[in-house]
Amino acid sequence: MNAGGPRVRMSAIVRRFGSVTALDGASLELLPGEVHGVLGENGAGKTTLLNVLGGMLPADAGTVEIDGMPVRLATPRDAWRHGIGMVHQHFKLVSPLTVLENLALGYRVRGHGMRLPLEAVRRRVSALQERTGLRVELRRTVAELGVGARQRVEILKALLREPEVLVLDEPTAVLAPAETRALFELLRSLAAGGRAVALVAHKLDEVLAVADRVTVLRSGRTVHTARREETDADALVRAMVGDAAATSRAASGAAVGSARLAQLRPPMPGRVPDPSAPTATGSPPPADVVAALEGVSVRRRSGGRGDASSGLLAGESPPALQDVSLDVRRGEVVGIAGVEGNGQRELALVLAGRLAPDEGRARVPARTGFIPQDRTTEGLALDLDLTDNVALAFHDAPSSRGAGGWVGWMPWATLRVATADLIARYDVRATGPGDRARALSGGNQQKLVVGRELRVSGDLLVAENPTRGLDVGATRFVHEELRRFVGRRDGPAPGVVLISSDLDEVLALSTWLFVMAGGRLIEAPDERRSREGVGALMLGAAP
Amino acid sequence: MRDGPGDRAPLGGRPRAPRARRIAPLLTAAGAVTLTALAASLALAVGGHDPGRVASALIGGAFGSPEILLSVTLVRSVPLILTGLAVVLAFRAGVWNIGAEGQVDAGAIAGTTVGLHAGGLPPLLLVPAVLVAAALGGLGWALVPALMRLRLGVGEVITTILMNFVALNLAAYMVRGPLQEGRGVFPQTDAIADAARLGVMVPGTRLHWGFAIAVILAVGVSVLLHRTRTGFRIRAVGTAPLAAAISGRIDADGVAFRTFLASGALAGVAGGVEVAGVTFALYEGLSPGWGYTAIAVALLAGLSPLGVLATGILFGALEGGAGAMQRVASVPAAWVGVVQALVILAVLALDRVRRHGLGALTVPSAVVVAPAQGDGSVG
Repeated sequence: MNAGGPRVRMSAIVRRFGSVTALDGASLELLPGEVHGVLGENGAGKTTLLNVLGGMLPADAGTVEIDGMPVRLATPRDAWRHGIGMVHQHFKLVSPLTVLENLALGYRVRGHGMRLPLEAVRRRVSALQERTGLRVELRRTVAELGVGARQRVEILKALLREPEVLVLDEPTAVLAPAETRALFELLRSLAAGGRAVALVAHKLDEVLAVADRVTVLRSGRTVHTARREETDADALVRAMVGDAAATSRAASGAAVGSARLAQLRPPMPGRVPDPSAPTATGSPPPADVVAALEGVSVRRRSGGRGDASSGLLAGESPPALQDVSLDVRRGEVVGIAGVEGNGQRELALVLAGRLAPDEGRARVPARTGFIPQDRTTEGLALDLDLTDNVALAFHDAPSSRGAGGWVGWMPWATLRVATADLIARYDVRATGPGDRARALSGGNQQKLVVGRELRVSGDLLVAENPTRGLDVGATRFVHEELRRFVGRRDGPAPGVVLISSDLDEVLALSTWLFVMAGGRLIEAPDERRSREGVGALMLGAAP
Repeated sequence: MRDGPGDRAPLGGRPRAPRARRIAPLLTAAGAVTLTALAASLALAVGGHDPGRVASALIGGAFGSPEILLSVTLVRSVPLILTGLAVVLAFRAGVWNIGAEGQVDAGAIAGTTVGLHAGGLPPLLLVPAVLVAAALGGLGWALVPALMRLRLGVGEVITTILMNFVALNLAAYMVRGPLQEGRGVFPQTDAIADAARLGVMVPGTRLHWGFAIAVILAVGVSVLLHRTRTGFRIRAVGTAPLAAAISGRIDADGVAFRTFLASGALAGVAGGVEVAGVTFALYEGLSPGWGYTAIAVALLAGLSPLGVLATGILFGALEGGAGAMQRVASVPAAWVGVVQALVILAVLALDRVRRHGLGALTVPSAVVVAPAQGDGSVG
C-alpha cells in the first residue's frame, strides 16, 4: 500500500483490434475519493480503456497498478478480485429473472453449494438500498423494468461486491435528467466514502457537473488531464477535437477540400427550405434539387425487422428523427456531423430510400447509392463472392435479357465484367471476382462497396461513416473518390450526403455543414465551421 | 454450410468459384462418409459383428444388380431427393424448415384425396392434378409456421417440428375417418384411380416417373438458385439478410416467406409422388421419416441441389440395403438410422473444422461465475 498514491494507475496501455489501434499508449490515474470523468470523441478509446480496467479486454501492452502493485487483469474476475466494479454501457442482465436473482447471480456463499443465496443477498441489498437510496423492487423481473431501473440494478450489482473502484461506461445515455441528477448524487457520496469512481460520458456539461478531475482521450492517447477547477468546457473541447498544432497538421488535407469547396459552392444562401417562401406542397422542386425532405419524422424502432435501424428504447422515448427538412442539390456535399445515436442512422436510411418516414415527405431518387456504416453486415454479404456482392446493387436493374422483376435471368456475364472492372478501377486487392468478400481486408472491402455504390448512384449518394476503421491511405482514397464523384463533369453533377462522426472528414468535404443533435438537424453557421464550433454544437450548444 | 460456395450450376454462364472452394464441399462429404464408415465399423466390431460382412450385405442389398439398383435404391431415393431439395431451398434462404416430414404428410393427404375423387380425368390431366394438389398441401402446411415467422417473429424451428406431429395425427385421422377404405377395416384409403398413378419409367422394374420428376426438380432448383434473380435474392437473404436489405434493397422477410412456402410445396410433392408412384394409397406412417432424413441428405450435399441427387441416392441405398443387412448379417435394420445420424454429426464437425480450423473442436473456456471476494463474506 502506498497511502496517498493513486488507487489505480494505468500507463502506456495499447490495445489493437485487428489492424485498428484503439488504444495507443493511453494512461489514466484514479485517486481515492474522486469522481473522474473520461471524455473523448467516438472511437477515442474511452470504452476500450475502461474495459481493460474491468478485465473485459486484456491489454496488448502497458501496465495497470492497483495501490502501487502491478496487477494482471485478464478476466472480469481478476478485476473483481482487485476491487474494481463495472457498470456497462449495454446492460448485462438476465431479463426473465427477478432483480434479486440477477443480483444473486454469481454470488457464492459458503454452505449454499450450488443454490443461490437469495435470503443473504436480500438482506445485504436492503442494507445497501438504505445507504444509497437506489430503489428497485427486488421481486419484479428485469424485463418489466425501464432502462433507468435496469441501470440501478447494474449499479447495485456492482456495489454489492464492495468495490474500491467503480467504473461506469456512459451511464447517463439512457437516463432522464432527474435520474441523472440522482445518479450523480450517489456517485458523489460513494466518492466521499473514499472510493474512486470513473465515469465515461458524452455530454460535457454532465462531466463538468460531477467530476473532480477529467481525463481526455483522443485517438487512443491520453491528451489532457486536469482538475475540474483548472479547466473549462472550451479547453476540454479543444482537447477532444485536437489542439491548434494538431489541427494544422491535419490541415493539408482539409485545405484541398476547402479550395475545392470554393469552386463548388453556388452563390445562394440557405439550404433549409425557408418556411416563409411560397412553395406550395406538391410543387416540383427546383431542377438542381436531387433529394428533398420536408418535415420528416421517424419513430424509434424496437426491433431490427424490415429496416435496419436498431433501437434499444421503445415507447416513451422521443422520435429518432424530428421534423427534419433538407434539400440536397447537384454538385454539393451535405455534411452531417453528430454524436452517434442522435438520428443520423435514420436520416441516412430515409435519404437512401431504405426507410419510409413516419411523418413528412421524402423525395429521393430511385437509384440512390448508399455506403452503409457497417460494411461487414450491411454493405457486403461476406460469404458470397465479389460478383455476387456487386450484384447486390444491380440485381433488380433492367437488362437486355429481361425485365428486372420477379422472373428473369441474372446477367452474370455483364456482372462479372463489371466486377473485374471495379476491382481494377478501385485497386481492390483480390485474386478475382470469384473471391469471397470475407477474404478481403477491411480497406479493400470498403473500396469495393464505395466503387459499387458510386457506380449505382444516379443523382444521389449517401455515405454513412464511409471511412470508419480504415487506415490513412484507404481514407484518402474514399475522400478523393467522393470529391471526384460530386465534381463529375460528364453530365448533371450528383449530390452527396456525408454523414459522419469524424469531424475532420465532414469539415474537409462538406459544402454545407449540419449537425444532428437529439433527432434534429441544425445548420452550422459559417462562424461555427471549425472543430471547436461543430464540436460544441454536437454536444448541444446553441448555434 | 449455408452458402455452399462450391455448388455453382454447371450449366455455364455463372462465374466458377476458385477450384479449392469448388471441391471443398465434396471433400467434406467424402470425409464425412469416411468418418461415418470408420465409426460404424468400430461400433459393429465392438458389438461382435464383422464390419466387412455387414458392409457387403448392405451394398449387395442396395447395388447388387441393376434390378435392385432401379427397383430398390432409386425408388427409395425419390422421396429423399425431393424432401432434400425442400430442405436445401429453405436453408439457402436462411429458413430452418424442419417440417418437411409434416409437409410430406400434408402433400400425401391432398394428393390422395384428388386421386380418389377425380377418377374420371385422363392420366395426362389427373397425374399433374395429384401432384399440384400435393404441392398445395405441403405449401399450406408450411403456411402456418411461415406466417408465424413473418408476422409474429416466431422461430420456425419449433413451429415446423410441432406441425409435423399435427400432420402425423391428421393423416391417422383421415385414414380412419373421411378417407378410410370402403370396407372400413384397415386404417388406409382405397387405391387411387389408375389414371392418377405415375407409370413405370423402366419396364420390368418398379422405378416410376417420380424419379425423373426428382431429377428435373433438382436441376430446376439449381438453375433457380444460381441463374435467376429470384435465386440470387434467396441466396443473398440466406447468407446476409441485413446486407440484402440495406445494400440489395431486397425485401428479405418477403423472400424468406415465399421460399418457405416453396420449400413446403417441394416436400408436399414428395408425398404426392410416393402415393402416385409406389403405394397408390394413403396409410398411417406413410413416411418413415423422410422429412428428417432429408436434413442429413441436404447437409451432406453441402446444400447443393445437384449434390442432393447423389446424397439422396446414397441414403436410398442405405435404406434399400437395410433389409438385406438384417437378413444376411443379422444386424437390425434400425442400424441404418444410426448411420444416418453419424453422417450428420460428421458433416457438421467437418464443416466447422473447414471454416475455423481444428481449434473449433476444443471446449470453450469456462464461464466466469463468482467473484472470489464474495466468497464467505455474506450470510
